Amino acid sequence: MLSIRELTKTFASPSGELAAVDRISFDVAPGEFFTMLGPSGCGKTTTLRMIAGLETPTSGAIAFDGRDYTRVPPQQRNIGMVFQSYALFPHLSVFENVAYGLRNRGVKGTELERRVAEVLGALQLDGFKTRLPSTLSGGQQQRVSIARALVYRPSMLLLDEPLANLDAKLRIQMREEIRRIQREFGILSLYVTHDQEEAMAISDRLALFNAGRLVQIGRPGDLYRQPATLFAADFIGRANFFAARLAGRDASGAKIALAGGPELTVARVVALAPEEAARVPADVDGLLMARPERIGIAPGSRGIRARIGRMQQLGGCQRYIVAAEAAVGEVTVDSWRAGEEYGEGADAALTLDGSDCVLFLRPEKSA
Amino acid sequence: MSDARALPRRPDRFFPLAVGGAAVAIALLFLIYPLANAILGAFVRNGQPVTFANLTLANFERFLTSVSYQRALWHSITAGAAATALATAISLPMAYAVARVAMPLRATVLAVSVLPLISPPFIGAYAWIILLGNNGIFTNLLRDYVGVGLPSIYGFFGVTVALALSYFPYVFLVLQGALAAVDTHIEEAAAIAGASRWRVLRTVTLPMILPSVAAGMLIVFIKAIGDFGVPSILGGEYQVLPTLIYYQIHGFFNLNGAAAIAMVNVALTLLALGALAWINRARAVATVSGTARRAARPLPAPLRWSAIFYVWLVLVVANLPQAVTVLYSFSERWGDTLLPSIYGLENYRRIVGEIAGPALNSVILAGAATIVCLAFGAITAHAATRGRIAGRWAVDLIIMVPFVLPGLVIGVAYLAAFNEGALVLTGTATILIMAYFTRRVAFVFRSAAAAILQLDRRLEEASTICGASWATTMRRVILPLIAPALLAGGILVFATLIGEISVTVLLYSARWKTLTIAIYEYLLGNDIAKASAFGTVTIVMTFALVAAASRLAGRNMADMFR
Ligand SMILES: Nc1ncnc2c1ncn2[C@@H]1O[C@H](COP(=O)(O)OP(=O)(O)O)[C@@H](O)[C@H]1O
Ligand SMILES: [Mg+2]
Repeated sequence: MLSIRELTKTFASPSGELAAVDRISFDVAPGEFFTMLGPSGCGKTTTLRMIAGLETPTSGAIAFDGRDYTRVPPQQRNIGMVFQSYALFPHLSVFENVAYGLRNRGVKGTELERRVAEVLGALQLDGFKTRLPSTLSGGQQQRVSIARALVYRPSMLLLDEPLANLDAKLRIQMREEIRRIQREFGILSLYVTHDQEEAMAISDRLALFNAGRLVQIGRPGDLYRQPATLFAADFIGRANFFAARLAGRDASGAKIALAGGPELTVARVVALAPEEAARVPADVDGLLMARPERIGIAPGSRGIRARIGRMQQLGGCQRYIVAAEAAVGEVTVDSWRAGEEYGEGADAALTLDGSDCVLFLRPEKSA
Repeated sequence: MSDARALPRRPDRFFPLAVGGAAVAIALLFLIYPLANAILGAFVRNGQPVTFANLTLANFERFLTSVSYQRALWHSITAGAAATALATAISLPMAYAVARVAMPLRATVLAVSVLPLISPPFIGAYAWIILLGNNGIFTNLLRDYVGVGLPSIYGFFGVTVALALSYFPYVFLVLQGALAAVDTHIEEAAAIAGASRWRVLRTVTLPMILPSVAAGMLIVFIKAIGDFGVPSILGGEYQVLPTLIYYQIHGFFNLNGAAAIAMVNVALTLLALGALAWINRARAVATVSGTARRAARPLPAPLRWSAIFYVWLVLVVANLPQAVTVLYSFSERWGDTLLPSIYGLENYRRIVGEIAGPALNSVILAGAATIVCLAFGAITAHAATRGRIAGRWAVDLIIMVPFVLPGLVIGVAYLAAFNEGALVLTGTATILIMAYFTRRVAFVFRSAAAAILQLDRRLEEASTICGASWATTMRRVILPLIAPALLAGGILVFATLIGEISVTVLLYSARWKTLTIAIYEYLLGNDIAKASAFGTVTIVMTFALVAAASRLAGRNMADMFR
């Protein structure tokens, strides 16, 4: 098991010390595929590099299977790493690239050949042994760099945006491939990406970062359904917000009234941090968040009144971008019912189910 | 009412043809003709006209029969190779330190590292005599207080060390650039795969920069075997090909014999150049453009400080000659002490009356040559990068070959070409100006070509579509946009010409004596005090100009020599 405790890294910047990573703690279980997700510059790479030993933490601790790794040099950590730029050795053949880590471990002769061939086989690279990296396509280079990282059976695999240099189609194909290989090797993997869809698709669990802080950890579905902050709600999937007034509280949750709409009971109530509370309109108590596919849309006026702005046909479903009463910003509604298409400019009513929503309350209202 | 009538009716062909024609004429007369003439002259006995019947290998026979010729060839090869090896040995750790070790004042380190290239090597060579010669400061200090005698600085030892310290920045800059361009992720990948720091260096970093190591070494070798100033000061009896050429001309005025030696020198240079071209091709393939955003992993503090100390030690030692020259010029007594015992301006007072003439000559000659370089370099650069001319490579070749050929070779070629016949220029300012131009036009050509390549070709098309003639497009669009690059290239040409000696020493006349010739004469006459004052003036002028050029181009001084 990998344990990260209060990990911090500060860099000197023109405006003083900047905490690129700020007191981050999490655990990753053996065999787990764990993703660090967040916008660019939020400290994911820095965290990964500290785990790899390429960057020295300012404070905090990294332990693996009970052994303190914080100051161990990278050579002695027995980890595998895949870089965004692949970082293949340009002067070595595919075979020698993959064999590199084994040679460092004193593996020689037929044992070396066998193990390299095994990994090359697993990554469908059998025919490329003697090629130089510069003669390979991006996808093939990526496979070589994964093979190079796995060949010496490292205790964990670190991947820093490994798909960022590939085109969209190959990206989806490769992420399935990475997941397949990770399962095949049963290796604890730490994956970094800024692409939330990729993170959701590939991970057992993920950690959402923002500005050097850890925002939330959980399984992909948990983060989608129960975001812990407005940032998380926004960053993962699409989120719609409605201005909400608190009407009362009981055991089943918070009763709220939406402007012009019906009353609702919401079980998931989150207290906003002071810095996020500023996003709540002045005259209400909080924001109600609903996912696009959790909003009903119907003709007539029973519900929140709305007007269709645009309609996009997304294959399986229709997506409506609507202006709605009480909404903060545009509302996106995904409707899966075939045939019920509303024209642009038509009036409609939106319905919400409190059990699908999350209520973000101002700090003083949530006590 | 349309404005169409004001437009030229036909695409104008006159200007490009006229300008291009003039450029071709200059190239033929001052680049191709002298070199071709010298090649032919090498195969004719001294004084005889070049005819088919007169062709002979007699001039080359000396390399088979004369011990002094064989020695000079051997010395050129061995001293050149030794200087290259020493320069590389100095540069490798230094380049690694500057590229990879967190270092205070990195930009300053880079700028200071090229000072040895800027200051004329023969002035530096003399400073080594002041320090380490038979009666040198260190020599005496070591003998009197430590009781150690130094080997003689004259000959192989002195020539090798002075050449290495003069030209090491070439290999240093190439290596530093290569190391900085390596994607550090590749080295991190090696470390993560279990390789120790030393193993990463040996199995990944060094193999990746190996082509650059070779390229840098060849540049140093080419420069070292072409240098005249250092062996002429420190060589003594130890002759190399350039000094041999010099004595053939000054002793015997044997132009054809000198041409033959020059051809051997050229052959060596071209051999190295060919190898360089071959390596550069390999280098282009192997280069991995770096996304080395991250700083490299820090070294442990003691190692880091040793690296910084080493870098500064090299810088100090390599710039010691310049420092000694300046110090000497301000001293009135410098006996057996580490520093002068009496300072003063006496040396400058003594040269006041004498310096104006040579200084003015240097400025006029270098200035005129710079102007020719600018005009010719800009036009050919435009033609070579943009024109649909056949044989673009030929333009490159014509311009780059004289750039790498030893100055003495150019000097011999010019003497042979313009000494008699249709165009006699011996002893004039023109011959010096054109020889300077030949040797330096590559500076302007290269910086202009780089600037033009960066311009969007559509700018010119837009200008043409707006109705501008070729001349207007050049004057209003191209020239203003590449002006900073041209100016920087021009200043660099000017600055390095102020310190030029190897072509000047063959072509100057009493009327056109330059600063460097004056210094050379004082050195030969053992008037070190005056030589150092002249030398200081030259060094300061050159430094100031190069610094100005780098300011203007917005680049580090070091980048002007990459
Ligand atoms: N070596 C460094 N020196 C200074 N600042 C750095 C360095 N490395 C990263 N940073 C800063 O730390 C922050 C986090 O960077 P990074 O971990 O690369 O983010 P991410 O991988 O999430 O995009 C950024 O603001 C970045 O500019
Ligand atoms: Mg990153």
